[in-house]
Amino acid sequence: MHGPDVTWYVVLAAVLFVIGALGVLVRRSPLIILLSVEIMLNGSNLALIAFARHVGREDGQIFAIAVMAIAASEVVVGLGLIVAMGRRNVELDVDKLRTLRG
Amino acid sequence: MRLIDAAAWVCLLAPLSACAAITLGGERLTRRACGVISSATTVVAFAAAVAAFARMLAEPGGRRAHTTSSWTWLQAGKYHFGLTLLTDQLSVMMMLIVAGVGSLIVAYSVGYMDGEDEERRYFAYMSLFVFSMLLLVQSGNLLLLLAGWGMVGLSSYLLIGFYQQRPEAIAAAKKAFVMNAFGDATMALALFLLIEHTGRLDFASVFSHAPRHGTLATLIALGLLGGAVAKSAQIPLHTWLPDAMEGPTPVSALIHAATMVTAGVYLIVRTHPLFENARAVEDLAAGLGAATLLMAGLIALVQVDIKRVIAYSTMSQIGYMFVGAGIGAYPSAMFHLMTHAFFKALLFLSAGIVIHALGGEQDVRRMGGLGRALPFTRAVFAVGTLALVGVPPFAGFFSKDSIIAATLTRGAFGDCLFAVCLAGAFLTGLYSLRLYLLVFGGAQSEFAAEHLHRPAGRLEAAPSMIWTVAVLAVGATVAGFLQFAEVWHPLTTWLAPVAAPLSEATNRQEAVASVASVGLGLAGMSVAYALYGGAQPRRLPRPLALLVQGFYWDQLYAAIFYRPAELAAQGLARFVEAPLIAGSIGELSRGFRLGSGELGRVQNGLVRSYVLAIASGVAVLAVVFLSTR
Repeated sequence: MHGPDVTWYVVLAAVLFVIGALGVLVRRSPLIILLSVEIMLNGSNLALIAFARHVGREDGQIFAIAVMAIAASEVVVGLGLIVAMGRRNVELDVDKLRTLRG
Repeated sequence: MRLIDAAAWVCLLAPLSACAAITLGGERLTRRACGVISSATTVVAFAAAVAAFARMLAEPGGRRAHTTSSWTWLQAGKYHFGLTLLTDQLSVMMMLIVAGVGSLIVAYSVGYMDGEDEERRYFAYMSLFVFSMLLLVQSGNLLLLLAGWGMVGLSSYLLIGFYQQRPEAIAAAKKAFVMNAFGDATMALALFLLIEHTGRLDFASVFSHAPRHGTLATLIALGLLGGAVAKSAQIPLHTWLPDAMEGPTPVSALIHAATMVTAGVYLIVRTHPLFENARAVEDLAAGLGAATLLMAGLIALVQVDIKRVIAYSTMSQIGYMFVGAGIGAYPSAMFHLMTHAFFKALLFLSAGIVIHALGGEQDVRRMGGLGRALPFTRAVFAVGTLALVGVPPFAGFFSKDSIIAATLTRGAFGDCLFAVCLAGAFLTGLYSLRLYLLVFGGAQSEFAAEHLHRPAGRLEAAPSMIWTVAVLAVGATVAGFLQFAEVWHPLTTWLAPVAAPLSEATNRQEAVASVASVGLGLAGMSVAYALYGGAQPRRLPRPLALLVQGFYWDQLYAAIFYRPAELAAQGLARFVEAPLIAGSIGELSRGFRLGSGELGRVQNGLVRSYVLAIASGVAVLAVVFLSTR
């Protein structure tokens, strides 16, 4: 088998996932949060593909394609929401959206 | 089925059928019909008892006991308790007394309770009582006897509280029930001991298998004595009887004079082999009887309620019976039980006529001079009084004197009893004639002149009240001739196979006892005549508070039992309920309110903090799974 060992892929996937998660946690703009979620999904996709290659089966790759499809539809919904918020002149800051407070 | 067994069942079940018919019939039966049904069935029971008695007379002396069992009532392991009736000399005698006096008193009630609200309920209860009392005396084993014992207590409770709108009546009913329940409990404990030791409860095998001596025998006899003392209103469980006079007068006559309160004497006579195994308890029974007869006689001297005087006199007379049963003079005790049933029922029922004539007044201070208006009542009351004092040839003379004579056969202890009995005889003469003179003697009182009313016609009361009292007066006069010292003693012979006397007084002892007790009775009567005889009663010193209060027994029990319980309840309410139970609920709710307020602040609506919680939770879970793999 060519290329680096599967460990490196998993480490890269973990790094991508943590970067995305930190982005979700610390950024305020919904647009950036959506972007960070995409980075997290890509991290997990990378892990799926790496393991699929490691064990020599295609299931993980098929699963990664399914994740991409779901990520695409998620972006559609998320961007739609953001556009709707922009149209209504709602400030694009998640910390201001606190109507769920108990 | 043999005739005697059939008669026993008829005797037992007739009053029960009346109770059921009146209860189920409700308003379909007229009030008068209820009285008639109740009296008729009691007469049927009496007829059945007479039939059983007649049949038994024809049988040879040794084989007069018959048991009949209808079904097995209780079965537990090797214990079997049937619904068994025992018809022997003793129970047939009690059946005759209960059903005979009972039918007279129920018939009297038809006139006495006429126009009373809820007559139906009254007659249903009366029939229930007669049934329970017959069950008590006819039962063939101790368990059934205990059932009858409890049921007479129940019917007594129901009838004392018959006037349920009167708080005193309800209080008296509860008091009687509680004190009787105490006796029931000790009796049940005695039965448990017997079951444990013998495995049976039917009389014959209990008597042959029971422990002959030792602590166990004493405990069994003590338990039975507890039941007898409570039911028969002897010291120390006597305080319920005077209060029980809150019930209608015929109830006092039937339950609290003639039958139920004498059940204790019947119990001692019936189970005398168990008492003979514990002589100390027998002596205790006699001692309690002597103490009661003296104390009740003293209290009766100062009571002002006509029924209470007779109630204390009942306690005193039952004291005589306890003395008789305690020293082993069983036939004498039963004989006195029988004559007492006649003359005490007579006294109560004629007192009922007086109370009726005065529109419900029971205070003797307001009576006086009633003899002119009620000559018949005065005559029968005089018969009852003479029989109670024991003036020959009235019934009390024969029966009481045979008990007093029997005390002379028991050594030094017997001599003490003899002295107490004679003192009691003096007191009996004193309080009986006092009552008679206060009610009938002297000039007519203002209250009587104003309130006295007798029904139109020749009779002083309803016909059913007059003829029943007349029959009882005849009974109180002649019943005593059934037995006279050694000369003529069919009753002792009759009872001998069941309860032979332990010792019999000689003719000389009988003569001494008779002369002494009649002399003292007459002396008491003359003192009473000197004090109360004139047209205008002499002014007397204020009666001793000790006697008016009945030797402070009620106050004593209140101090020993009621006050501590009340204090404990108040203490618990203040120091346990308020802080621990009521307080803890407040504390708990306050704690939950604070906690949920604090917890609510976690939900801050900031999505990022939720995400952080989820992420850190997942991270912790991942670490846990990895490290524990």
